[in-house]
Amino acid sequence: MAREQPLELFMPPNMLKAKVGHGGISGLDAAAIQRAEAAMEEIKGEFAAWAAADVEKLVAARAHFARSPDAASRAALLRAAHDMKGQAATFNYPLIARVSGSLSKLVGELDGDLPLGLIDAHVSAVHVIYRDKVMDESNRLALALAIELEAQVAAILKR
Amino acid sequence: MSYQFDRLKILVVDDNAHMRKLVCTILQAFGVSQIFEADSGERAWVVLKEVNPDICVVDWVMEGMSGPDLVRMIRTDPLSPNPFVPVLMLTGYTHIDQVRQARDSGINEFIAKPVSVKTMMQRLTAVIEHPRPFVRTKSYFGPCRRRRGGDEYQGPERREKKEAAAEAAA
Repeated sequence: MAREQPLELFMPPNMLKAKVGHGGISGLDAAAIQRAEAAMEEIKGEFAAWAAADVEKLVAARAHFARSPDAASRAALLRAAHDMKGQAATFNYPLIARVSGSLSKLVGELDGDLPLGLIDAHVSAVHVIYRDKVMDESNRLALALAIELEAQVAAILKR
Repeated sequence: MSYQFDRLKILVVDDNAHMRKLVCTILQAFGVSQIFEADSGERAWVVLKEVNPDICVVDWVMEGMSGPDLVRMIRTDPLSPNPFVPVLMLTGYTHIDQVRQARDSGINEFIAKPVSVKTMMQRLTAVIEHPRPFVRTKSYFGPCRRRRGGDEYQGPERREKKEAAAEAAA
């Protein structure tokens, strides 16, 4: 990267360090990490409801896009897929993260009209993986489905 | 020895309520007691001016004002309460062009989704322990975008002298 001129480089005072003091030897606060891991365990019980809400949101976004395929409904579909991609792994649904990642790639990167059939295939896959509570990547059928959807998206984006 | 996270004010900006809760749960467990939430970039700008947080955790993709748009305002708007405030950006994007776009808006650190406790702690520790210098050019104001560039070295050119001495000795 060529350096842009004129350039002013300066170090602002480190107010954070002055406020929080010193952490552990490694720099990471091990006790705080333990507390947070425990807190995450406690809210895991809510993840199922959160995941259900995200799946519903994705299904609704797909239905809205199918009814009126315009820029706004496309953006809403992209956001729903993108949110799901970001959260599904946290909710212990890695394959949903993968399929919704593939869907957000398709919706976000394809110029022109979106193939509704392929969108439906993604949304159905998410729905089935959630319904059957496939929470690991060792389920051969679900994994094969995710791989196939990714391949289809890659092929369409190549054209 | 532990950080006194209870002294920090942190603003969490995400239009997804679940993601906000997740991030706030982690921060609370770290000991942060003053956590402020905003469900949009526009709302975040209002809260930011009210509370002047020590750190902002900002989602990239939001309806209306996006994360990078908010960060640009924080860095360059004359009404910004603190243009130097560290910003950690939450993102599901990993493509190099997208990473570059966020970096060019003036963020300090990325937090890739799915969010983990360890990553959150690492990024907080990074902005506390290893703050980056700020750069002002005609088109950018924010943390230095070069992390470990060898061309950042400002000291004397010892290597050149060493090589010349070796050549003279040969």
